[in-house]
Amino acid sequence: MVIRKFCVFFILISCLASSQNKQLLYGFSEIPQSLLLNPGGKVTNMGYFGVPLLSQIHINAGTSGATIYNLFANDGLDFNLKLEKAIYNMQANDFFIINQQLEIFSGGFAFGNRFEKDKYLSFGLYQELDVIAYFPKDYAILAYEGNQTNINRVFNASHLNARAELISVLHVGVNKKVNKELTIGFRGKLYSSLLDINSTNNKGSFVTVDGTNNFYNHMFNLDLEVRTSGIASLNNDGATSESTIKDLRKRIFFWPNLGLGVDVGFTYQLTDQWMVDGSLQDIGFISHSKDVKNYKVSGNYVFEGVNPLFPETGAGQTAEDYWNAIEDEFNDLFKVDTTNTKYTTWRPVKLNASLNYAFGKKKYKDCDCLRGKSGYQNAIGLQLYGIKRPKQSQMALTTYYFRKVLNGLQTKVTYTIDSFSYYNVGLGLSANFGMVNFYIMADNIFEYKNIYDAQSVSLQLGFNVLFKKDEN
Amino acid sequence: MFSFKSTMFIKVFKYLIITLIIVLVSTSCTKEVDFNQVNNIQLTPVIESSLVFINEPANRFLVNGTEISGLQDSANIDVFNDEFVIDYLEKAEFLFQTTNSINRGFQVQVDMLDDFNQIRHTFSFSSVASPDNSDVVNEHIEVFEGNFLTALKNTTKLVFTLNILSGEPINQSTPGRIILKSKGTFYLNIQP
Repeated sequence: MVIRKFCVFFILISCLASSQNKQLLYGFSEIPQSLLLNPGGKVTNMGYFGVPLLSQIHINAGTSGATIYNLFANDGLDFNLKLEKAIYNMQANDFFIINQQLEIFSGGFAFGNRFEKDKYLSFGLYQELDVIAYFPKDYAILAYEGNQTNINRVFNASHLNARAELISVLHVGVNKKVNKELTIGFRGKLYSSLLDINSTNNKGSFVTVDGTNNFYNHMFNLDLEVRTSGIASLNNDGATSESTIKDLRKRIFFWPNLGLGVDVGFTYQLTDQWMVDGSLQDIGFISHSKDVKNYKVSGNYVFEGVNPLFPETGAGQTAEDYWNAIEDEFNDLFKVDTTNTKYTTWRPVKLNASLNYAFGKKKYKDCDCLRGKSGYQNAIGLQLYGIKRPKQSQMALTTYYFRKVLNGLQTKVTYTIDSFSYYNVGLGLSANFGMVNFYIMADNIFEYKNIYDAQSVSLQLGFNVLFKKDEN
Repeated sequence: MFSFKSTMFIKVFKYLIITLIIVLVSTSCTKEVDFNQVNNIQLTPVIESSLVFINEPANRFLVNGTEISGLQDSANIDVFNDEFVIDYLEKAEFLFQTTNSINRGFQVQVDMLDDFNQIRHTFSFSSVASPDNSDVVNEHIEVFEGNFLTALKNTTKLVFTLNILSGEPINQSTPGRIILKSKGTFYLNIQP
């Protein structure tokens, strides 16, 4: 029984993989940006505004397969051998991700009746780049080996699976303390897609099998599509990188490829020391209608060679017609159809949940009393993170230790298991200098000794101006 | 009170600076990588493809009851002078396998012509007769390297000729058939 549980646990762990996971920021209520991860999180300030362009800088990159160092280390090894190793070691479910966010502005303030300001409004605008690409294993094998050593192997066309989006997000959130135990929150989001490219729904296969009339039958069955919005117009003649950036900047506010989404969340204080919370982020969509250009390849064809002397010609068909018909079949099969059909993309929904235990009240020498409402200096907890991705959801499990080192200085240490690695240790720090709050957090800190060999790295930092609660 | 705050500030500041230094020093630490290695990339896939085939009984070589001694057809083909093939095809081999169960020998000739209808390369292979109508199997491999490879890359037209060699006349009830199978093996060497 124990063994079975152990197995289930390990299967679960082996499915874990995370990206965009902000395990350090989640639940870090001293940092206002934690409300972006859980709109129903605890609020510890009366108001704040983020230092424009500096309030949240976040970058996260990861690979579940080969690292940059695996391939590009200057170690004198033959690059092609390293490439071969990478191709054979990686699977079609291995992926590469990049996620970057930059807050352009943000702010928030508490409001309510005269006696208790139990509501909090927060708002802001941020830019986000999100890229995920799965390793196209079968395409790589076909390009690397060809079909000679792969007779009867079905090359799966769905291995081509990638998406990239550059968006801006304008958001307003409300947080309400319902009673002593429960806090709930909601955030509405208006997405503007600056650029979008995706190819996540490919189907079909290519296989070479032994033939009847000839050595081989080559069977093509292809249904591939790449959809883009906001890209066709950038490739205009005379476009420079400068003009492109200018064009993109305009789209942050005035681009018609818009979408809507919501975040919801809650915090529930079970006892004085135990607390649970949870949130769902980015339940939303973007509708792409302007500047859309899609590329599609589809068709079925079985080729077994040509019969030059006894062509199976139809009535009145000459041998030349027969040859042309075969050529047309191939041209049709690989012809790229372009369309401007509008499409909708769904944002990757993210789940966060945690169970927390606070302990260790601070004792003061000068009096036997507690200062402040939250007297506990330490907290430990378990966090679960999940994100919906094109092929399968990715998850991560984090344990953490949180400590108020000094008044105005908090730290959080996390240990995270995901399929990038089983040894992801992160460190976060938030410090207040008067009204100025500064935070910095990085995970996988042990991999920073050679960042190119890291399976994943994530770094975020920012500056805010805080209006504190009058605690004493 | 003021002094308490200022000492605390110094403590906080010290912690912050230490942490920042740790993060910055550690982030700047990378082992040497060389992205130019990507220029050394070399892919050597081997592609196999069916080419031509024939599978016909003896009586297909009769027209109005009279035996035809030869058949010829030509086809325009633009795959060999495709830019990708010209750049990356290093070697090609064509394998022809004949299975003859007719009591007559035959010969197949393939002429490769360029844009100006000039013959760049010719090759042929043949099969002996099968007196007892059992399968006589022959294989011919035509290798394209060096000048032959250049000829292949200039080929835009193929002419196939099949000649039935002399022997016992064919009629409607002549047993046996001629089978030809062929495939091309294309050795690519892709170095961008």
